[in-house]
Amino acid sequence: MRTISHQSPKTLKIIVNRTLIEATCTPRTSLLDFLREEAQLTGTHAGCEHGVCGACTVLADGVAIRACLTLAHDVHEAAITTVEGLSESGSLTDLQQAFSRHHALQCGFCTSGFLMIAEDLLRTTPQPTEEEIRSAVSANLCRCTGYVGIMRAIAEVAQQRAENPTRQERRHA
Amino acid sequence: MLREKRGDVRILAGGQTLLPSMAMRVSEPASVIALSGIQELALLRETAGAVEVGAMVRQAALEDALKTRAITHPVLEAVLPWVAHRPIRQRGTVCGSIAHADPSAELPLALIALEGSVTVASVGGNREIKASDLFTGPVQTSVLDDELIISARFPLLKSSDRIGFAEFSYRHRDFAVVSVLVIVRESSTIFAFGGIDDTPVRIEIPGALAESDLVPQLTTIASRQTVRTDPTASADFRRHLMTRLGQSACLQALGQ
Repeated sequence: MRTISHQSPKTLKIIVNRTLIEATCTPRTSLLDFLREEAQLTGTHAGCEHGVCGACTVLADGVAIRACLTLAHDVHEAAITTVEGLSESGSLTDLQQAFSRHHALQCGFCTSGFLMIAEDLLRTTPQPTEEEIRSAVSANLCRCTGYVGIMRAIAEVAQQRAENPTRQERRHA
Repeated sequence: MLREKRGDVRILAGGQTLLPSMAMRVSEPASVIALSGIQELALLRETAGAVEVGAMVRQAALEDALKTRAITHPVLEAVLPWVAHRPIRQRGTVCGSIAHADPSAELPLALIALEGSVTVASVGGNREIKASDLFTGPVQTSVLDDELIISARFPLLKSSDRIGFAEFSYRHRDFAVVSVLVIVRESSTIFAFGGIDDTPVRIEIPGALAESDLVPQLTTIASRQTVRTDPTASADFRRHLMTRLGQSACLQALGQ
């Protein structure tokens, strides 16, 4: 049990994209602020900051969560993956390439969050039905280009990974 | 610790209600006690007669246990997909939703429909609170300042029970304007309504449910019930929803 009180900033350790980051943060610091300000990773976007839009979605130990609704101190010692950490090599992942091919982004503000829920869906449901993809993407808001391209991109990657599992393994290595 | 800091402390389980309310400055606790490190509170099991859910069991963990049939409970299976979206359920806890006691939330509705209970712990020991005594008002419970909900019990259905659930909200997976859970038993029918009043409401009607007069029966129930008017919906609209969603939930149950 960790008691978080106003008075004292405390040291915490979070593994972000396979790198341990240690910082001294006030107890009220959200994981979102930690990532953007302490880890200097601004790919995770601050949208509504109360859990509605999903722009700040990251993976915590592989599971998609809202970074704005999580206190940094509450994920002490967890492994966080942000959009910057999806690819180890620095080149775009299969999912990012599919987003580009299917015009699944326009302004790009929501994209990092959508990539995270897509990775989470494909991890738990490698062969999702259209309905399952629709349900998953309904968690996040896209205000410009719409959801059809996003759904097509996810469906295509699900199929590609099923046909070529090594490609998937390489991605998760 | 709860006793020492009485009133100026909030418990953090999943934080999916506490964090938005802190972000909006609706809640400004001096201290927050995080439960996430306590393994004992992550207990999820089917015991004699009930599904018992510890305080740190996340909604998605229960949802997955139901999906893989590790645990069987048709009511929980029906309502959980309606609790926000998956990324929220991956963090939010079952007991946290109950402790928050939002009158439109699905898990308090299920607890009251099933006549479940919660166990609360304090320095003085544990006690059990029945669902019917738990919800005392909108986002208010009978849990005392120095008590902590450590688990919730959702009684199992009888094999002959059939259930239905329907909900209306303005946006996909937003707060329910009205939700209806129906449990059809051999000798009675239980209706539980969310979103209509300060707490979820349970009404048990004796006798078998007749498909032919569902609408008149539900209209009567709705007309006798205290139903609130607020900026999201008038009482008349909520009564209309009680009837129509109730009909839809009953037809689901009778079709099983």
